[in-house]
Amino acid sequence: MFMEEKRKIIQFKHIVKSFGDQVVLKGIDLDIYENEFVTLLGPSGCGKTTLLRILGGFIEATEGQVLLNGKDIKDLPPYKRELNTVFQKYALFPHMNVYDNIAFGLKIKKEAKDVIDQKVMKMLKLIGLEGYEKKDITLMSGGQQQRVAIARALVNEPKVLLLDEPLSALDARLRKEMQYELKRIQQEVGITFIFVTHDQEEALTMSDKIVILKDGEIQQVGTPEDIYNEPVNRYVANFIGESNIIPGVMLEDKKVRFDDEVFDCVDVGFKKNERVDVVIRPEDIEIVPKGRGLLNGTVESVLFKGVHYEIMVETTPGTTVTVNMHVRDKDANVVRGEDECISANDFYLDLEDMEGIDETEIIARADAQAWDPKTDEQLSIKDIETDLKQEVGEYSVTFKTGNGLSITRKIWVIDQHVVENKKANEAISAFNFFKTTDEIQESMALDTDLMVWANAQAWHLDNEDEPVELYVDYHFDQDKIREGVYRVTFSTAGREFKIHTTRFCEEGKEVGLTFEPDMIHVMEKMGF
Amino acid sequence: MKKFRQLVIPYVIWASLMLLLPMLLIFLYSLMKQGNTILPFKLTFHNYVRFFTDPDFLLILVRSLGIALKTTVICLLLGYPIAYFMANSKPKTGQKLVLLITLPMWINMLVRTYAWIGLLSNDGVIVGFLKLLGFKHVSILYSETAVLIGMVYNFLPFMILQIHTSLAKMDKSLLEAAADLGANKRESFLRIVLPLSISGVVSGITLVFLPAVSSFFIPKLLGGGQYFLIGNVIENQFITVGEWNFGSAISMIMAVIMMLSMYLVRKADRKSGKEEM
Repeated sequence: MFMEEKRKIIQFKHIVKSFGDQVVLKGIDLDIYENEFVTLLGPSGCGKTTLLRILGGFIEATEGQVLLNGKDIKDLPPYKRELNTVFQKYALFPHMNVYDNIAFGLKIKKEAKDVIDQKVMKMLKLIGLEGYEKKDITLMSGGQQQRVAIARALVNEPKVLLLDEPLSALDARLRKEMQYELKRIQQEVGITFIFVTHDQEEALTMSDKIVILKDGEIQQVGTPEDIYNEPVNRYVANFIGESNIIPGVMLEDKKVRFDDEVFDCVDVGFKKNERVDVVIRPEDIEIVPKGRGLLNGTVESVLFKGVHYEIMVETTPGTTVTVNMHVRDKDANVVRGEDECISANDFYLDLEDMEGIDETEIIARADAQAWDPKTDEQLSIKDIETDLKQEVGEYSVTFKTGNGLSITRKIWVIDQHVVENKKANEAISAFNFFKTTDEIQESMALDTDLMVWANAQAWHLDNEDEPVELYVDYHFDQDKIREGVYRVTFSTAGREFKIHTTRFCEEGKEVGLTFEPDMIHVMEKMGF
Repeated sequence: MKKFRQLVIPYVIWASLMLLLPMLLIFLYSLMKQGNTILPFKLTFHNYVRFFTDPDFLLILVRSLGIALKTTVICLLLGYPIAYFMANSKPKTGQKLVLLITLPMWINMLVRTYAWIGLLSNDGVIVGFLKLLGFKHVSILYSETAVLIGMVYNFLPFMILQIHTSLAKMDKSLLEAAADLGANKRESFLRIVLPLSISGVVSGITLVFLPAVSSFFIPKLLGGGQYFLIGNVIENQFITVGEWNFGSAISMIMAVIMMLSMYLVRKADRKSGKEEM
C-alpha cells in the first residue's frame, strides 16, 4: 500500500488557559494532521470545549501558540481563520431560510451568484436535504438543523471543521445515524474534523484519533483500538468501555501480581515491584470449570444484555466486621424537666479521631438533643462538661440546657479496631454503639443510619482516600425492636470480576476464570 | 377545567362591553348633527365634510403627523444605539441602565413636562447656557422645538426598552457563528443583529408614534397655545367648544389614520423579514 506522508495542519504548543484563578488548560501539546477525524474526549469541565474555542478564535490562550499550517494564528480574528465551526446548539440564523443560511459565508466573500447557487446545491445534496432550500429554518427538526449547520460550515471549504458536541441535542437513534453520516461526510470532503464530545461511543465509532482530556491535561492520544486495548491509566480505562481494574504489583518484566497471585503478562518497562493498575476487559475473560482456570470464584449475578450475558464472579470474599448495637428503652436516655427534656447516648470514640474533636462533634456523636415537650420545639444545648483525654479509657460527659437541666453520659475511647484484607486490598472499621428503641424505629433509612451510628468505613489499603462500598447485615425487626444487644455486620463486596460472555451460567455456581497473558493490560498508577 | 373557563365568560362580556360601548358611542356621535344623546338618531356626514373642507384643520393634521414622525425618527436614532449599548454591556450594568431608563416613568408625565417649562424658559438653564455660548436671541419655549424636545423626552424610554428587549433575547452564539463564517463586526451587525431586532424596532415605533400623534398636553404646555396639534383640537371641541359630535368625528379620523399607518409599518416589517439578504 502506498503510504502517504501526512502533514501537520494544526499544532497546539503548550496551551495554557486560565479564567481568573481557575486553570482550565494546563499546557496542551497536540499535533493534528490533514484528513484526520480527531475527537477530543472528556467529561464536562475537562477543557475540551475551551481548547476548541481557542482554535476557533473565540477566546485567547493565556500562554502558548496555535499554529495553522505552520503559522501562528494568535492575531487572526475568527472571521479570518480558515476554519469553520458547527456549534453545539447549531446557532442557525432564524431569520433566513435554509439556502440563505448555507450561503451566508459565500455572500460575505462576495462570490458570484451562480457560483453560490452551485455550491449551495452541492452541499444540500451532500447532506441529503435537496429541495429544502426555501424551508424556514425554525420549522425543521433537530437532525435537519444539524445537517444545515454542517453544510453552512462546509460550504466555505475550510481546512478544518470544528464540531462542538454537535450531537448532544439529538435523541439516541438520530445520534447514531448522524455518527455514520458525519464519518461519511468527512471521508467524502477529505478535510480534518475536530470533534468534541463526552460520549465515548461517539468517539470510538467515528475517530481516527482520540485525545482523552482530564482536568485540562491530555491523558492519552491514540487510535480507538490503541486506547481501548492499551489504556495508559485507570482513568482512561474507566472512561473508554467497561473494565475490571485491579491494583497490583509489577514483579519484573512480564510478571504481575494481583489478588495474591502471580500472572504472566506481556508488559515490560516497569520498575521492579512498581505498584500498578491492571485492566482486564470483561470480554477477555473466559469462564471455565472450577479448578481449570487461573482464578476460582462464585457466580454472584447474571444479567442478560441482549447480545451477551454480564456475569459477576466473586473471586475473593468481602471483608466483614461485626459490632454490638446496645439497645435501650425509649426513655432510658431522657431526662425530663418541667418545661424541657434532654437526651443523649453513650458512645465509643476512636483514639485517632480524638484529635480536633470539638463540642459540635461530641453533640453529634452522642446525638444530644433538648426540646420543649409541649411544643416539640428544639432547644439549644448551652454547655458541655467532660473529662475527656487523649488516652484509651472511660470518660463522662454532661450536656446542659440554658435552664440548667443536664444529662450525663459515658464516652469510651478505644484504639481503632480495623480489619485488613490484604488479598482484596481493603480495610474496614466500625464501632459498637448505643441507641434507644424509638431511634431505631423512627429511622427512615436504617442501613445508612446504622453505618453512621457505627461510624463504619472501608477503604483501599493502597489508597486510603478511596472509599469502598459497604453493605449492612442484621437480624432484627426494626419495628418491634426491644432492649438488648444486637449484632450488626458490615461487609464489602470483595473482588468481583465482570465478564461478558454469550454462554449462560447459573447464579451461585463455583467456576474458574481464565485469560490470556496479552489480555492483561498493565498501567501506571495515577498520581492523585 | 371547562367549568373554570366558563367562569371567565361574564368578565369577557363585561370588559368588551365597557371597551366597545364608548367607542361605539363616539362613532355614533360623529355621525350626528348635535346633542349629547344618540336618540333620536339622525345620520349625517356633516362633521366629516367640515373637517376635510377646512384648510386650517387639514394643516393641523399634517403638522401633527409631521411632528409625530420627527419624534419617532429622533427616538429611533437616539434609542437604537443606547439599547444596543445596554444589551452588550455586562448583565449587571445592563440591569442598572434599564432601571435608569425607567426611573423617570415613576414620576407623572404631566409633572415632568411642567419641569421642562422651567428648563426651557428664557431665564432657564438651557437658554442661559446657550447665551453664554454667544447665542444672544434664542428662545425655545413655546415653539415647535420645545414640543419636539418634550415628546422625545417622554417617549424615548418606550423605544429603548422595546429595542433592548429584542436585542437582549438574541442568542449570542449567532454572532459567533457569523464571525466564524467570515463576517466582520459591521457585516454581522447589518446581516444578523439588525434584521433580528426589527420586531423590537416596529413595536418601538408603534409605542412612540401613536401617543405622539394624538398627544395634547405636551403641545399645550410646551407650545403655549401657539402651537396647535390635532390632539388639542379634539380636546377643545370636547371641553371648551362643547362640540362633541365634531370632536368625535376628528377622533374617528385619527383612529383610521393610526390603524392605517400601523398596518403599513407591520407590512414593511414582514416584508423586510422575509426579504433575501
